[in-house]
Amino acid sequence: MLQSGVGHPCFNMGLDEALLHSEDSPPTLRIYRWSPPGLSLGYFQRASDFLDVAGDHVVVRRVTGGGAIYHGDEITFSLTVGASLLPSDIGASYDLIHDAVRAALADVGVEAHRRGDSAGQPTRGPARPKQPWCFADPVCEDLLTTSGHMLLGSAQRRVQRPKERILHHGSLVLSAPEATPFCGSVAEETDPRRVEAALEEAMTKRLATSLGLTAAQGFPTEMELEHATRLAKERYGSEAFTLRR
Amino acid sequence: MRPNDRKYLKSHEWCLVEDGVATIGISDYAVSHLSDLVFLDLPEVGSQVSAGANFGEIESVKAVSDLYSPVSGEVVETNEALVDDIESLNIDNALDTGWMLKVKFTEESADLMDAAAYEECLKNEAD
Repeated sequence: MLQSGVGHPCFNMGLDEALLHSEDSPPTLRIYRWSPPGLSLGYFQRASDFLDVAGDHVVVRRVTGGGAIYHGDEITFSLTVGASLLPSDIGASYDLIHDAVRAALADVGVEAHRRGDSAGQPTRGPARPKQPWCFADPVCEDLLTTSGHMLLGSAQRRVQRPKERILHHGSLVLSAPEATPFCGSVAEETDPRRVEAALEEAMTKRLATSLGLTAAQGFPTEMELEHATRLAKERYGSEAFTLRR
Repeated sequence: MRPNDRKYLKSHEWCLVEDGVATIGISDYAVSHLSDLVFLDLPEVGSQVSAGANFGEIESVKAVSDLYSPVSGEVVETNEALVDDIESLNIDNALDTGWMLKVKFTEESADLMDAAAYEECLKNEAD
């Protein structure tokens, strides 16, 4: 468990990727914030689709899939694990993580449900995203608020070499950003500032339990930090990568 | 039993060699596990790929997975029809018209397996 605090968008993405490629790293849950707030694009998205909304915001391209997210008042987390800890079926791995987050939300009195659990909702929609924004296009595994708005954004990167590992990105919205007002949020049910700390603690416990682990505080190694800093500068801070599509 | 005219990697790529050119794709097992494919990225014709190294990426259900090359050499053809319509890749065409690239190769990965060994590998993965 890494309580990373506030990081620049490029460093946040760099550290997550460094952890993905850190072969000897233990299962790692990293909880962090973005300063300045930033816009992250899914790995395959076209940057030109977001030029009008990007404005002065820092834009980064994630190595994970899915749609774009404006990272404002939210709990961002990354879970980096050996592939054997999560189901090989991608949808089932989302279910495991989302159920843990849903239980953590319930621990602090916030109700959420899976889109696929709603009456009349298809268990699986069309594969290709209809909307460029992650939170505008929930899939059946996604968590929704009681008002039906998507509350948690998720995406993954899966590598097989040098070891089989998975990076899971999660964005749990505390207050819906002005840039993406269609997001669901914890603020729909309660004051986010009142439950924020307890929610982070509950997420840590629930996710660890779901993986059959016990959470313990840890710190990135010097090598991981060096790799993260290099990736932040050379990859995530580079227009060649951000604007590659 | 999968066709024994080609070899397979544990990471689920297959490779069919004819006249010094390796045709590469991913197995029906990989397609079935990835499900709901939405994007595919392949190297450009003329670029070099290395055995065991990443040659492309594929996205399904908001998850990006790396693809690994079974051979080293020069990319001589890519399946652009598949890039444009990756949703058409399914368990029935994965080992046939669902090929991804052709490589004029100089070296094969030492990790390539025949069909029987790959089937065994899948059994272990399921356990």
